[in-house]
Amino acid sequence: MLAQIILFDGFDPLDVIAPFEVLSAGSDALGGSLEIRLVALDAPGPVVSGTRGLELTATHVLEPETPGMVILPGAAGPTDGDPDAVRTIPVILAGLSESSMPDLMRRAFAAPDTLVATICGGGLALGMAGLLEGRTAVTHTLGNDVLEATGTAVIRARVVDDGDFVSAGGVTSGLDLALYLLEREYGPRISLAVEALFEYERRGTVWAARGPEALPL
Amino acid sequence: MNSIAGTWDVSMRTPIGTVRAVMTFTEDDGSLTGFAEGKSEQTPLRDLRLEAGETQDHVTWAQTITKPMRLELLFDVTVLEGRMSGYSRAGRLPQSAVSGIRRSA
Repeated sequence: MLAQIILFDGFDPLDVIAPFEVLSAGSDALGGSLEIRLVALDAPGPVVSGTRGLELTATHVLEPETPGMVILPGAAGPTDGDPDAVRTIPVILAGLSESSMPDLMRRAFAAPDTLVATICGGGLALGMAGLLEGRTAVTHTLGNDVLEATGTAVIRARVVDDGDFVSAGGVTSGLDLALYLLEREYGPRISLAVEALFEYERRGTVWAARGPEALPL
Repeated sequence: MNSIAGTWDVSMRTPIGTVRAVMTFTEDDGSLTGFAEGKSEQTPLRDLRLEAGETQDHVTWAQTITKPMRLELLFDVTVLEGRMSGYSRAGRLPQSAVSGIRRSA
């Protein structure tokens, strides 16, 4: 199984590193049967994040059909400002619609053995590109209203499991997403072993369309 | 319905900046239809309604754009003498200003 974490110009480092480390530790706990890669949309090589010029290197290009998980992080940058004048986070994420991202992610959604996951603004980027019609998702708190305006059903939970598509809220939610993916795919023994190593206990509820609707409390 | 029939240059603010579109309204046998042409796409205007007023007409419609991002929009504008002004709303986002000028024939 292959876990591919996408890097793009302006990515948020923690959105990438949290699942990268969690899944790597999970892979070690499994004896290496899960391969983890940092991938680019067009060509391998260094990719600059949105935080103080930190760079990570994509070793491969995204292969959307390879069985496993495809993970899209969000962007780091200004949250405030006139979008006509400032390259705010929504502007960066909308810019991904003009890249190879929509075609590649469309293929990942269509591939039978690929799970698509997003952290933070990654969910909003997919919504802006029109890939979440009829889907349920969450993004960073600051972006949930915009995500809803794209026509996506938004659930304000830490992690939202929509079957073959799992999305998480802002930044640190990447830890919870990755631990949940380990539990979902390999069981709680693996995810608990990683929690112990990282001294991190998962936060929040993983929403799924299951069980009765809650009455007002 | 003549106040809105024609082709308009419209601009609206979105979460990612100002978007310009060309909108065409047609009156056909008492019913009003319209479509918008933006960056490489043409989308129909849905639930188009015109309320004739004493001094100006009030027009509302729903529209989904996909460029520069997907947005499900509700428009609410007044039209007078070749000028359109009002706002558009997307979901729970604050409404944003819309303005338009009709092209002369």
